[in-house]
Amino acid sequence: MKNLILLLLFLAATSLPLTAQQKSISGTVKDLNGVLPGTAVSEKGMPANGVITDADGRFRLTLKGSSHTVIVKLIGFASQEIDVAGKSAIDVVLQPSTQGLDEVVVVGFNQARRITNTGAVSAITGSEIRNVPTANVQNTLMGKLPGFVAQQRSGQPGRDASDFFIRGVSSLNSDGNKPLIIVDDVEYSYDQLQQINVNEIESISILKDASTTAIYGIKGANGVLVVTTRRGRSGRPQVNLRLESGQQSPVRTPEFLDAYNTALLVNEAYKNDGLAPMFTAEDLELFRNGQDPYGHPNINWYDAVFKKHAYQANTNIDISGGTEAVKYFISGGFLTQNGLVKDFSDPRNEVNTNYFFRRYNFRSNLDMRANKTLTLRLDLTARFGDINQPYNANVVSEVYNFEKIHPYSAPLMNPNGTYAFAADTKDKLPTINARLANGGYNRSKRTDFNVLFGATQQLDFLTRGLSLTARIAYAGIEQYSRNLFRPAPPPSFHYNPVDQSYTLDPRGNYRLQAYRVTGNTDLYSRNVNTQAFLSYDRTFGDHAFNGLALYNRQSYAFKSDIPANFRGFSFKVGYNYKQKYLLDFNGAYNGSDRFQARKRNGFFPAIGVGWSISQEPFFRDHIGSVSLLKLRASYGVVGSDVTSGNRYLYRQEYFYGSDYSFGENHTPQRTIYEGELGNLDVTWEKARKADIGIDVNLFRDKLSFTVDYFHDIRYDQLVRKGSVPNMLGIGFSPTNVAKTSNKGFDGQINYRGSIRRVNFNTSLVFQYFKNKVLFKDEAQPAYPWLAETGLPIDQPFGYTFIGYYTPEDIQKIQANAHDKPATPLSEYPIQAGDLKYKDINGDGVIDNNDRGPIGRPNLANTVLGLTLGANYKGFSVNLLFQGAFGYSFSVVGTGIETFQSQFQPIHQERWTPENAANAAFPRLTSNPTTVNSARTYMSDFWLIDARYVRLKTVDLGYQLPSRWLPRRLNNARLYLSAYNLLTWTNYDKYQQDPEVASNSAGDAYINQRVVNLGIQIGFK
Amino acid sequence: MMLFLLAGCLMAMVACRKDYEAIPLEKVTIEYVFDKDDSLGTYANKFLNSIYSKLPGGYNRVGGDLLDAASDDAVSGLTGTSAVSQLATGAFTSYAAIADETPWAGSYAAIRAASIFVSNIDVSPVKEKLPNGYSIRYAWKAEARFIRALFYFELLKRYGGIPLMGDEVRELGDDVQVPRSSFADCVNYIVSECDAIKDSLRPNPVAAPELNSHRATRGAALALKARVLLYAASPLFNGQNIDPGNTLTGYTAYDRERWKLAADAARDLIDENTFQLLPDFKDIFITQHNSEVIFFRQGGNNTSIEETNGPVGFAKVARGRTNPTQELVDAFPTDQGLPITDPASGYNSNDPYIHRDPRLAMSILYNGARWLNTELQTFEGGQHRPGGAEPGTKTGYYMRKFMGRFENATQYSNTSHDWIIFRYTEVLLNFAEAENEYNGPTADVYQVLKDLRARAGIIAGDNGMYGLKEGMTQEEMRKVIRNERRIELAFEEHRFWDIRRWKIAAQVYGQPLHGMSILREGPDFSYNPVEVFRPVFTAPRMYLYPIPYDEVVKNDNMRQNPGW
Repeated sequence: MKNLILLLLFLAATSLPLTAQQKSISGTVKDLNGVLPGTAVSEKGMPANGVITDADGRFRLTLKGSSHTVIVKLIGFASQEIDVAGKSAIDVVLQPSTQGLDEVVVVGFNQARRITNTGAVSAITGSEIRNVPTANVQNTLMGKLPGFVAQQRSGQPGRDASDFFIRGVSSLNSDGNKPLIIVDDVEYSYDQLQQINVNEIESISILKDASTTAIYGIKGANGVLVVTTRRGRSGRPQVNLRLESGQQSPVRTPEFLDAYNTALLVNEAYKNDGLAPMFTAEDLELFRNGQDPYGHPNINWYDAVFKKHAYQANTNIDISGGTEAVKYFISGGFLTQNGLVKDFSDPRNEVNTNYFFRRYNFRSNLDMRANKTLTLRLDLTARFGDINQPYNANVVSEVYNFEKIHPYSAPLMNPNGTYAFAADTKDKLPTINARLANGGYNRSKRTDFNVLFGATQQLDFLTRGLSLTARIAYAGIEQYSRNLFRPAPPPSFHYNPVDQSYTLDPRGNYRLQAYRVTGNTDLYSRNVNTQAFLSYDRTFGDHAFNGLALYNRQSYAFKSDIPANFRGFSFKVGYNYKQKYLLDFNGAYNGSDRFQARKRNGFFPAIGVGWSISQEPFFRDHIGSVSLLKLRASYGVVGSDVTSGNRYLYRQEYFYGSDYSFGENHTPQRTIYEGELGNLDVTWEKARKADIGIDVNLFRDKLSFTVDYFHDIRYDQLVRKGSVPNMLGIGFSPTNVAKTSNKGFDGQINYRGSIRRVNFNTSLVFQYFKNKVLFKDEAQPAYPWLAETGLPIDQPFGYTFIGYYTPEDIQKIQANAHDKPATPLSEYPIQAGDLKYKDINGDGVIDNNDRGPIGRPNLANTVLGLTLGANYKGFSVNLLFQGAFGYSFSVVGTGIETFQSQFQPIHQERWTPENAANAAFPRLTSNPTTVNSARTYMSDFWLIDARYVRLKTVDLGYQLPSRWLPRRLNNARLYLSAYNLLTWTNYDKYQQDPEVASNSAGDAYINQRVVNLGIQIGFK
Repeated sequence: MMLFLLAGCLMAMVACRKDYEAIPLEKVTIEYVFDKDDSLGTYANKFLNSIYSKLPGGYNRVGGDLLDAASDDAVSGLTGTSAVSQLATGAFTSYAAIADETPWAGSYAAIRAASIFVSNIDVSPVKEKLPNGYSIRYAWKAEARFIRALFYFELLKRYGGIPLMGDEVRELGDDVQVPRSSFADCVNYIVSECDAIKDSLRPNPVAAPELNSHRATRGAALALKARVLLYAASPLFNGQNIDPGNTLTGYTAYDRERWKLAADAARDLIDENTFQLLPDFKDIFITQHNSEVIFFRQGGNNTSIEETNGPVGFAKVARGRTNPTQELVDAFPTDQGLPITDPASGYNSNDPYIHRDPRLAMSILYNGARWLNTELQTFEGGQHRPGGAEPGTKTGYYMRKFMGRFENATQYSNTSHDWIIFRYTEVLLNFAEAENEYNGPTADVYQVLKDLRARAGIIAGDNGMYGLKEGMTQEEMRKVIRNERRIELAFEEHRFWDIRRWKIAAQVYGQPLHGMSILREGPDFSYNPVEVFRPVFTAPRMYLYPIPYDEVVKNDNMRQNPGW
């Protein structure tokens, strides 16, 4: 349609009489992904003199004026003015943009233009993230989209998708904060989203306020992520081939102490605990000089097990084009990511036990014009993937875990070529390399299949601008896991260099056991979505109307569960007067069958208003540099039907319990017990969302900015009431009682310009949110500082660190002095150098009552993203710096605690009488639950306020000039891209990635840095 | 085309109506459990089983220790802080409770389950009849009421008067702000329940014991009634209320007649002649439904008691968790029935374990006792008290009671470990205590003690008095009965409550607890009592537990116990 308008303009232009000066200029218009057919190229100052690029993106224009400048314009891209003085051929590379006045962003079942939109929407195009070398689309969005906050918890190939939220979190219900994901108007799950190939994505929008999400009604409260996929355009077949290969390496490599330094610290800890030292001076010397590599080994197990780099590659091919009758976009992709574990190939073992991920994507999007008024659409997508990992082993955790292996536990291999086992540990397991070489694997094989069949009938014969669309979409997922494993660990021996004897490991597995296979269907789901909607879009002079009436139903069946059904009506009415006064009214009446019939359906209305001041004559006439100044506001109610766990909270169930045995033979008898009480009134959660925004474009859209302030109240949240006495005698389902608020702002500033021939663009994305629990029906705590109400959602609690116990403190404690410091009730007496915590209630005892709110929740409340891009001729550079601020995390157990974690450099900075002033770690101890344990006594010593800045993505490219290309090629681009290239953090307590999950053992697969080389070729 | 598509959509909508069920029918609801067509009561019986499974299991249930390890009879073998040491030193508050000894929620869960059964069982037309012609439905219902009453008693002895929930089964949103009933009302309720159900319960001995021995019988109801009335008559609640005038913590005035009620209740059961003392003391605990067992909770057929409490130092791992104190050992008389302090008793402090009440050897493992085909070495540094990383017993003693006959076995084998909640001996001792308080040391009182001592294997003596002094005063007799109760019922979760209801806990816990340090000197041993544990008891508040903090703040009508 847009092309048609431009074509008309062009026809109108060419019909004008030609004037004197004539100069011909030709060229090719491209973006980073290939040629751009249908681009309007016109002469500056003579808007009537313009052409449209052909199927190969080429144009030829005869200049008639004197500006020597052409303007290149295409919807979805920033327009460019190019000085062509003295040139006859140019290559133009356009930059994607969603900031122009007429740019459209995809919203629910519809599109919105920047100039008339009243809601809070942010969007990017697929081409902006296509070169990021990561397997998951959600890993590419933080810092690009205001309001989008993500945390990548793991770098494991195939399981490295970020958790993400829109405008933070506002529900106390653990699953209740996940945004709705809509791909081509059909709901996707989180794990389906991460299966999508970024190469297939046309655009991504996030819908943040009630005005834009009300159309989803009961599913709209957490915001919506809307993805559209690429479709064919009329024209000759255009083939695009992208080949990438790259190298993954850990963002941060943990450093562990060697055997000698570990042994020193072990001896010190034993001394502190009143035990005899474990190592003699002779042992220490042997550790230090390494002269006894079998009796006194010194192995850095991290280095022994992990490689420095792992390979990844991504290959994509797509073909698009079409005629008026049929348009197509067909693509295929293959992604492979290998794991970082070394190849411990063993002659008796031919299986790959390493981590890896392989994914194949296929998509065919077809549009057919059946007759003048009816178009049909058929989208087919299939994805197959394999995720491989060592059987039953978290290798990072194994390496970190001091209880499983020490640097001096065993050599990598015995001198006779047999495997060793960790003879000095409790489990006495064969070394990690022995088990990796022989242990087998766990492999998940997953298939996703999606079909969307739709038709749109123009109903202009009823009234102009009316159409009816119907769609049926099907999504199926199957995942089957195959476990290949040996029932027992491989044979291993302890070698004694003194008498050169070998002792078989205590399990006595002399024989290597044969492999065994088990399998299981992990996922099997079917989701059928039926939609029908009438849409209307018509302008009567100064009055523009649009409308939508939608019927939507969805049925989701998981494994043997009965289907979960959703059904409802939605509508949307938009009106604007001269694009000046804007009014949108959206709503939905829908519900899901997880609630009782009378509590099932809710009405969710929202209103959005806007005023484009820049369209007012008084403004436009005086302040010409402001092309857009729009104020907008929206308010509405949306819902969330998530019930954590049990889908049928209103039904009380009776369960079979564990058997009670009786009779002389202790015969087990079945028992039935009462399950949690049902909540007959259970219903959806609701959010009142208010949003005020301003959109500004200045200096011919070169500078634009958008800022939104939002204030949401989430109420009727499903939490378990804390105020019901246990005398009820039974657990009970969550009740719609809790209430939270969430407010903040987000926005972005874009500037694009050019200095000479260098075009550059910068964009700053920012967001801040702050949430608070207003009510959660908690039982009144014994002390006010134990209350969670009034604090942020997921506020951590713990002790307050006030220094280390000094030797004087210990004397006072032993003398029972009146001013002795408070101590915990622990089975281990306090010693100097232990962490001293504040006795908040002043009872002389450090216990649970002295825990208060410390730090912040784990989710960053402030996110910044700075994109810097520039291109010169065919060269382009694009950097994304991403920062996250205002969050806390801690690592416990095997990640940091002595005798649970391997000894790390931080442990050398422990408290000793000499180092008391500069201690960064408490005194060493081998006891697991002392006051120094982060797991037992979480405190603000362990919970650190973190922030980080990352050079998240880098894209350097060179697009070969068209004239260099062979005849069959119309585009070729070489690029170097990177992901997580550099990281700056503010902490040194933990050797962890800043996106680590708080309170975990820090043993997730380490996030990866990827450096990637790619080539992209377009064929005619 | 378009019409076809729309028709397809419509069909998809219509098709869903009938072919697919709207709710998950595989989820069992109460209508299945109490089914109006189920004349066998299949599911209802399974529900009743789940109520039985909530019964307290005794043994090492308090943080891995016996409750008795929180009395003056034993200490925990655990190094450092244990739940029982916290219990014995008062290291708990209403807010920071000892989880395993705060049965508030668990008791009310059992009470609720019983009430559900009582309120719904009549829906099922169960036809089966007991051999005595009564409908089994009445017996089942009475069993549920018995368990409910038992749980009320479990609460009563810990907290004093507690909220009585009646037969009502409350739903989410119902009023649960139930106030505490007075101590007197709670006692009356439990007693009236026992009276109401005793004729509906199965008579003793129970028919088909291989299937039904675990069930609450008439005898169980009578035994519960006797125990409740004994507690009610005891000083803590009857006359020495820790908060005089507070009806929740006991009676506001002493009434001697309460001892009569207790004595009569015990005598009622004794007079039915349905239970007898088992000749062999050891067999009481390891043989099923023997003549002495009135009511028990099923344990397993396993070696768990032996492995948890048996002596360390054997090849097969045992953890030596329960270490009896010197105080308990000294409470056992000699084999002539005389206290060891009596010069005539024949006690030799240089060879303290010979010529003692045979129950000592059947309850406690001491240095030189035979176990697992070995003479135990609990002297300092001995095989079964090695010291060091796994130090073994703190007191020089291990618990022997409840374990199988492993004196001459080489390893543990599976043994039946039912937890006996009521046994006949306790009823006899309840009777003797109450009778002595009401009528003084009558012949009936003497007879109880003589029977117990005869069964224990104490020498009858020329006068046939088993070492008992003739013509004791009420005071002297009280002392004897209390001591007899201590040694006979040791480790059976009586002592901990007895010292409270007798209101002697402050004195008892005021003394440090001792073990025996035994030094080997060549072939001989020297015995030196040493202090091993110092309990702390804050009177009067520790005579009752604090109501859990949450329950007080969640319930506007809840009153906390004094001092907490």
